[in-house]
Amino acid sequence: MPSGNVNWVSKVLAVTEKDIVSEFRTRYAINAILMFALVTLTVISFAVGAFSPTKEVMAALFWIILFFAAMSGLAQVFIKEEESGTALALKLASDGTVIFFGKLLFNLALLFALTVIVVPLFIILLKTEPANWLFFLYAILLGNIGLAGATTIIAAIVSKATIKGALFTVLSFPVLMPLLIAVIEITKSAFLGGVFKDIAAPMQLLVAYDVVMIILSYLLFDFVWRQ
Amino acid sequence: MIWKLLIFLAMSFVVVMAFVTPSPMNPANTLGPVDVYRIFYFHVPQSWVATLAFLMSMFFSIRFLQTRNMAFDIKAVTANRLGLMFAILATVTGSIFAKMTWGEFWNWSEIREVSIFILLIIYGAYFALRSALPDPDQRATLSAVLSIIFAVSAVFLIFILPRIYPSFSQHPTDSVVDKSGKLTMGGTVSLIFFTSLAVFTALFVWIYDLSIRLQNIYEKRLLEDK
Repeated sequence: MPSGNVNWVSKVLAVTEKDIVSEFRTRYAINAILMFALVTLTVISFAVGAFSPTKEVMAALFWIILFFAAMSGLAQVFIKEEESGTALALKLASDGTVIFFGKLLFNLALLFALTVIVVPLFIILLKTEPANWLFFLYAILLGNIGLAGATTIIAAIVSKATIKGALFTVLSFPVLMPLLIAVIEITKSAFLGGVFKDIAAPMQLLVAYDVVMIILSYLLFDFVWRQ
Repeated sequence: MIWKLLIFLAMSFVVVMAFVTPSPMNPANTLGPVDVYRIFYFHVPQSWVATLAFLMSMFFSIRFLQTRNMAFDIKAVTANRLGLMFAILATVTGSIFAKMTWGEFWNWSEIREVSIFILLIIYGAYFALRSALPDPDQRATLSAVLSIIFAVSAVFLIFILPRIYPSFSQHPTDSVVDKSGKLTMGGTVSLIFFTSLAVFTALFVWIYDLSIRLQNIYEKRLLEDK
């Protein structure tokens, strides 16, 4: 349990570290995610190359790239444990909440690595630069936390199912719908260069969403993990 | 048996009355043809039952995680199955209604159309997960967890949509009761409408009860065979 235990944070970090190390050895998720993002980006570049879409459309396209790239890789964090048969060992090694937050941090790291690569490519290839970088950063920061926070438990659910990859996207979409609407709204404002009043409502919602989803997943995770 | 008979008689009353009573609408202040309103007797009760079923399955999912009693899983999945059926009916009737009054079958800026669309996706995802889990215990637990997550994100959606696209619902807010809580419908219309509401709810409860009994017999058989 988190309270009163000094070692809790280091336990969580150990799970994340183990995943990062094994990720560097196998490149199980990162290659798929990056190539998926690149492919989507290329398709969009060719599609919009002939005409110049509005900034509102670009904001939506940016999140479509991130959403689908994330969907292709975020589920791996639990699927790889089930497939290599290490899930049982992990269950013995630590309790559910530690595993959950460890995996969440790893997914978050994966998403930030993805954005670091996608954002410059998006700006260069699609020639759309945010007018307000601060809003753009808010959108990416809160959007990534929400993406990882809401889908980590879904990844755990999907890892027990017989069809995994396709199911992850199907199950994640209804959950991520409010996040996507809010985050696209903020990104639009960032591209157009609005004032803070424009993004106050989606920002409130996004912060609430991130906090609620992480707490909810934390509460429900044991039911999934002990299966 | 008595239930079946009562539902049959009441439903026949609603169906006949919905089409033979004269329209109370004034042609001057209605959007479409005056007879279009008749679908209202079916569309609103169907939407209400779909909502009821969704709330019931949420409740039973939480109860299942609390007690681990498989009976609650059967109740949750039955409510979801019927909810899906009524949600499809409400979507189809609503879409026809929208075409006749607002001119389009589908409009993405109409909040209730978006929410029922998400509800259909939620049902789709729920059943997709259930069919991908062969073990009954696992299926019950994981789909209950998923239901709760979906319910929470649905709450966010209901709050976010009107905030980001302000004042875009074309649905009338005074079609049943006005702001002060008074009934806006005339005597005949409200009699048919409330009978319809009751009879659709009774129909739902009756099908629900039958499905549960059928499921229980099926489960018992399955155990005996083992």
